[in-house]
Amino acid sequence: MNHLQLTDELQEQASLYAAGAMTDGERREYARHLEEDNCAVCRREAEEFQAAAGLLALGLDPLMPSPSVKERLMAPLANRSSAQATKPRRWVIWLAAIEAVAASVLLFVAFSDNAELRRSAQALRTQVQQLEARLAEQQVQVASLTSADVQITNLAGQGATPAAKARLFWDQPRRHWSVYVNNLPPAPANRSYQLWFVPKAGNPVSAGVFNTEANGSAVVETDVPAGLDLMAAAVTTEPLGGVPQPTGPFALLGALN
Amino acid sequence: MEDLELIQQMAEKNSAALDAFYERYKRMAFALVYRIVGNREDAEDVLVDVFWQAWQQAGRYDQSRGKPLAWLLTIARSRAIDSVRSQTSRRTEDLENQPETPAPATADPFVQADTRDAVLDALRTLPDQQRLPLEMAYYQGMSHTEIAAALNQPLGTVKDRIRNGMVHLRKRLKPYL
Repeated sequence: MNHLQLTDELQEQASLYAAGAMTDGERREYARHLEEDNCAVCRREAEEFQAAAGLLALGLDPLMPSPSVKERLMAPLANRSSAQATKPRRWVIWLAAIEAVAASVLLFVAFSDNAELRRSAQALRTQVQQLEARLAEQQVQVASLTSADVQITNLAGQGATPAAKARLFWDQPRRHWSVYVNNLPPAPANRSYQLWFVPKAGNPVSAGVFNTEANGSAVVETDVPAGLDLMAAAVTTEPLGGVPQPTGPFALLGALN
Repeated sequence: MEDLELIQQMAEKNSAALDAFYERYKRMAFALVYRIVGNREDAEDVLVDVFWQAWQQAGRYDQSRGKPLAWLLTIARSRAIDSVRSQTSRRTEDLENQPETPAPATADPFVQADTRDAVLDALRTLPDQQRLPLEMAYYQGMSHTEIAAALNQPLGTVKDRIRNGMVHLRKRLKPYL
């Protein structure tokens, strides 16, 4: 319903909304009213109050975050930037490779019906297919990580690995996790790291076993099983090869919104 | 470079623009997040998410709904409140508690001094009975019913005071919105 003029009650609702003082149900209904009803009277009032509320923090004394915040913020972007800057270069290299290989195939087929050359041509065709598959896979990965549908969660180091960090990209439409781990020392001998889906109800479900590189980094890609209502992601240290249920200490943990 | 240009360049996925935007407003955003979250480690995690969200949503920024700084601080408040709500134990510090890390005394060079002065003046002239419920809502994410219960005041009184407080702030800050 659209309102024709501002009343005290409507002003009160707008002020409660902007101050963040509505209950969850009220906030949802009011946001729906603003967006779906597109009520100009309420919208103008709420936006003015929100703009004023948005400046309230200027009343606080500025506070300096540590330099690591910027490093963490820019790291994926640096990867992305380098991905954007170098990935096209990689694609160009791959495309050039594909073209070169394809040209070789044509040459071989055109100038020889030698059986050995035909076998070579087949191997080269396979190589082309593999390169094309890798290219497509990386294009999907870039598109996935930059999608607005991707929820990002930080996992913090636990127990013996407090400096470990991970960032989880949860592509909800595709039900896929990409987990980028840093500063997690390689697992001890005869041990593995195991990633877990932690549901709100029931036991954790294994999301895969991995180990980190010497520099403490790893990337884990895994699909999220259907029907799991997740509350957290966790990494534990387990016997080599993993276990059905977690038994070891936490290495990383992060709550999912 | 103006804030609006930075937002536009962020929308075009220019990471240098995000770098500049972060450098410009990291202190104010961190002060707000820290005020809500209450500890440095969690606040820094939230701060990463805040600027990441700004980066992702820069294309949807609508300047008719407020200046870029107000937009950023709205994101910061929302993410910080979400973070606090997601914790298993809610923080119980008194409203009057000061941050564990002393705030730097120097002013933020990227925030217009007259805007900050106006905010400080608006807050200074806000009656305590309006300021307190406003702060409980804004910094702690408490609803009017929770505030009324905590202050042992009638719900209607709390709503009135929040409305009057917001009207006061809007009036004082109108030239800067």
